[in-house]
Amino acid sequence: MSSALLVLAALLAIAGLDGAFAGFRASCGRTGLIRHRTEDRRAARSGLVLLAVLLVPAGVLVAVDVLLHPSRLETYRLAGYAMLEVYLPYGLLVLLALAGYLTLSWRRRFLASALLLGPLTLLRPLVAAAGAAAACWTTHDVAAGLVALVAMGAVLLVEPLVGRTYARQQASRLQRGPQLSDKRP
Amino acid sequence: MAKQASPRPLELTDLVCSVDPHDGSRLPVRQDAVLAALHETKQRRAARLARALPTRGEYLDEDAVDALLLRVHAELQRLGEELQLPRRLAETLRSWSGPLLTAPSAGPVRVVDVGCGLGHVVRWLAAHDFLGPRVELVGVDLNATLVAHAASLADQEGLRCRFVTGNAFTPGVAVEDPERTIIISSGLLHHIAPDELPGFFAAHEVLGVSAFAHFDVDPSRWATVGAWVFHQARMREPISRHDGVLSARRAHPAQRLLAAAGSSAPGYEVRCHDAPRWQPALAEVLRPIAGARRRA
Repeated sequence: MSSALLVLAALLAIAGLDGAFAGFRASCGRTGLIRHRTEDRRAARSGLVLLAVLLVPAGVLVAVDVLLHPSRLETYRLAGYAMLEVYLPYGLLVLLALAGYLTLSWRRRFLASALLLGPLTLLRPLVAAAGAAAACWTTHDVAAGLVALVAMGAVLLVEPLVGRTYARQQASRLQRGPQLSDKRP
Repeated sequence: MAKQASPRPLELTDLVCSVDPHDGSRLPVRQDAVLAALHETKQRRAARLARALPTRGEYLDEDAVDALLLRVHAELQRLGEELQLPRRLAETLRSWSGPLLTAPSAGPVRVVDVGCGLGHVVRWLAAHDFLGPRVELVGVDLNATLVAHAASLADQEGLRCRFVTGNAFTPGVAVEDPERTIIISSGLLHHIAPDELPGFFAAHEVLGVSAFAHFDVDPSRWATVGAWVFHQARMREPISRHDGVLSARRAHPAQRLLAAAGSSAPGYEVRCHDAPRWQPALAEVLRPIAGARRRA
């Protein structure tokens, strides 16, 4: 039980980080403002909350199955562990790149993006699919495979869904046109 | 028989919007003219993207093109942030503006960003007060829509800078005291055809500005691959992705820039350096051609 909880906690932590980053990415390059930290944080929170909502069906499937058949917990633990084997190295690489971004001098900072964060973002859908495939392959279990696929779908849906909201906001701002106040510096 | 040089590929953002260089008025763009130009350069993917653009009759819908350009430039700003572009420019500028400000007849120094788009660099410099209060920041672009939005964004954040529509090299548009003016740009040079580069640098000589720094991609296979990865990962608009990769392919090598500047702006001490072709230019993904007026 405790090892199953550990696997679940690790998966949720990785998914949470991914959701927050997905939300952040969805908002980037929308407003054109120089100071956008507040907006970045809001977008990250949106990504996190949306992911939590999208993961509810997967959580319900597991909970119902395990409540009805407690022995099924081991199958889900195995599936989760297989997913972790794929997601953990990826997540660690992302964190390493972020650490580089935060600690490198400003001149070298972009290297963390150019060499790791950019390519890792490109690979992300493949990594998500690989994790789900690993869960299916390891367990050969339909329900566990279904949960893995639902979770994968949830993770991949966050960015487009949050992005849609920001795209709507951007479109309405563009429609309003440029606004100038009377008190220009 | 000598191999015929293939035509320089075209960027869609250059084709879909046209303004009169003299009075800045918007010129209608025929969709079939855009498609014909892309057919000429054998850019099939670009032609597909151009075909998908909204039209009004035979012409591209100007409102839709404006919205597209604004989205593209907002995305570009995000890329510029990741590449630390404004800060790179700022470091170059600081080394020049300092001596100008401490000169005996010191008045304000003006930094003019040519082809400023949404004015990211100018607004960043203003937001971080990087050059001090005696440096005036002016962004200039031929596209009135971009300029209006740049001004609006600056206004929203209360930034001390201004934006002008027009040709920055026309005296009086943005340059009033050339000896105390520094001209900069970022990502502009690759939009200029090789045979137009001498004219571009000659304009600095004619105006007699104090210095210039034009940042652009250091062209190489590495830069093209990097641009592809970066634009696929970071940009949403298909046109941003298309043009982003092309900008790396179309960028001018240092040798060409130096030859153009050396012949047409002899009054400037010019420097520009490309990394060796075989190694990725990791330290300076965007590098400047920088010129400082020779002292008599």
